[in-house]
Amino acid sequence: MSTTFLPCSVYHEDYTQDHAWWQTKFVRGKMILLFLLLFVVIPPFADAYVMSVCNQIGYTILGALGVQLLIGYCGQVTLGHAAFLAVGAYTSTLLVLEFPWPKFLLDWGLAYPISIIIAAIVAGIWSVLFGLPSAKVKGFYLILTTMAAQFVTVDFVIAQYVSKIGGRGQAFSLPPGTIKIGPWVIDSDRKVYFMMLVLVILCVIGLANLLRSRAGRAWVAIRDNDISAEVMGINVVKYKLLAFFVAGFIGGIAGAFWISNLAAISYEHFPWFWSLWLVGVILIGGVGSIHGAIFGAIFMVVVMEGLQLAVMPLADTYPKLLIYFLFIKEAAFGLAICAFLIFEPNGLAYRWWQIKNYFNLWPFSY
Amino acid sequence: MDVFLMTLTTGIMVGGIYALIALGWVLIYKCSGVLNLAMGELTLIGAYVSLSFYSMGVPFLLSLLFSLIIGFVLGVLTERIFLDRLIGEPILSVIMVTVGLSFFFKGIVELIWGTDTRVFTPAVFPLEPIQIGPLVIGQVYLWSFVAAILLLVIFVGFFQYTRWGLAMQATADDEMAALSLGVSARFVYATAWAIAFMAAGVGGTLLGNINGLNISVGYLGLLVLPAVVLGGLNSVPGAIMGGIIIGVLQNLAGAYLDKYFPGGVKEIAPFVFMVIFLLFKPYGLWGWERIERV
Repeated sequence: MSTTFLPCSVYHEDYTQDHAWWQTKFVRGKMILLFLLLFVVIPPFADAYVMSVCNQIGYTILGALGVQLLIGYCGQVTLGHAAFLAVGAYTSTLLVLEFPWPKFLLDWGLAYPISIIIAAIVAGIWSVLFGLPSAKVKGFYLILTTMAAQFVTVDFVIAQYVSKIGGRGQAFSLPPGTIKIGPWVIDSDRKVYFMMLVLVILCVIGLANLLRSRAGRAWVAIRDNDISAEVMGINVVKYKLLAFFVAGFIGGIAGAFWISNLAAISYEHFPWFWSLWLVGVILIGGVGSIHGAIFGAIFMVVVMEGLQLAVMPLADTYPKLLIYFLFIKEAAFGLAICAFLIFEPNGLAYRWWQIKNYFNLWPFSY
Repeated sequence: MDVFLMTLTTGIMVGGIYALIALGWVLIYKCSGVLNLAMGELTLIGAYVSLSFYSMGVPFLLSLLFSLIIGFVLGVLTERIFLDRLIGEPILSVIMVTVGLSFFFKGIVELIWGTDTRVFTPAVFPLEPIQIGPLVIGQVYLWSFVAAILLLVIFVGFFQYTRWGLAMQATADDEMAALSLGVSARFVYATAWAIAFMAAGVGGTLLGNINGLNISVGYLGLLVLPAVVLGGLNSVPGAIMGGIIIGVLQNLAGAYLDKYFPGGVKEIAPFVFMVIFLLFKPYGLWGWERIERV
């Protein structure tokens, strides 16, 4: 599914052409247009609401990328990814709020960027810790250990201990102005949006490149058949743990990014529901493709926001509807996952691939 | 010592309920290979249905029976509508459908019954504790345990001696052979789901009697997952033992570890124990070791 057919009359003469990211002028033009759209066209026209929806999409993409790597590329089903997002978010918050930063770093506004990197590494290591059982167990047994990661990390360690650091009660509030990158204070949805774009693009490029390296091929081999992979000389345990590390790393970035969008951070932002939501996102988008994580995130967030917009006007006449909306959302999400798995098991990315191929081969589709 | 004995007995009693729910889980897995993550929500549905009947004034046993009937119907419907189409699909899809189902059921339960805690009024079981030798046991626990054991016996008897039960065992053992002997696999799958719904419903009703009923009873239903993993995914005695072990472990952790790790140690102890246990015995106590070949 990963290979797209080339349009008529495009031939490759050497490997560099074959490995190029943008293989035709059309693709390059399309991508440049996309970047222009994201960076130049959308921001001036979007109001705060659209911006916040975009940020939510970006956050979901960042979270789903790690899940996609683990489930879609390495075959290790994880149902506890929100734990690693939480670790990233809390590490970053604690560093920004509590760490005695040297004066010059604060002046240059480097505290938050450095904390993102450290948060990502900490989340990665935490993820490896819970990935360790994957050396011995697989399948459903592994799913349960990742569930344990969620319950142990979020409901126990963070809720009971980390939340109480510094004599705080439940939530860590982030005073305005603490989140700043260089000279820019991240205080509006618009600034969060640009930060989100940069982080998403960096993560997507990083992951996509990793996936076509030795590590990526090893992951796919493990996913397809781990015993054959071992026979071929791949160190299965090492690459599984590497997959957990990278997934946790991206999850940590996602969590650390998300605090810029929040006024206060609490463990309730990272429930088990969110872990399952991320898996649902990649299932709807398509398992085993980066496009899948992106399409799934856009689809889910937009549909849920649309549902909310549809419900809001009715709320005046039926005030109870607002309370019920949360439950309807849950039920709708569950049904959507079931429906997609039953009727469209390959996800949205598969449709996208079909459309691309259709136009690439047009008018000679045979 | 007294505290130890007390927590031990309470643990065994609660564990009996977990064992009952775990049995339903293992049944689905053995018969159709579906790893069901919606078990917590199944317990919720059954519990709420019987609670609704009970608060309408229907006698307790009768409302339990109604909840069994509705559980049966829902189980067959779930299998027919959702799971039947996924036979032969990759395992991740099937697991995720059950996750989707769990969201769906949870949303529906919250829509119908809300999120407030409800209790069985008037209390089904007398509130005075019973004294057996040195032990003081709440009657709720005792009767729940008795009911759970009774149902376990009924289920085991069903599998050993009835025609349907034997058909289900045959399908679990070798689907192809069972099909060639005239057993309808689709019928067996539907029955497995129906029985799982019913077992979860009884378990949920009993759990709801102990501490009142709200969404977190669904979380208790989730505790069957460590239980079945502990016993091994495809072992009925394993499910029963695993359920009791998890019940005991949970209560012991609550009694002894809470001093050192205040907070929710009772809730997560089963999961932590399970992870550590899996590192040493990757297939649980009595699970089949899969021998894999390329």
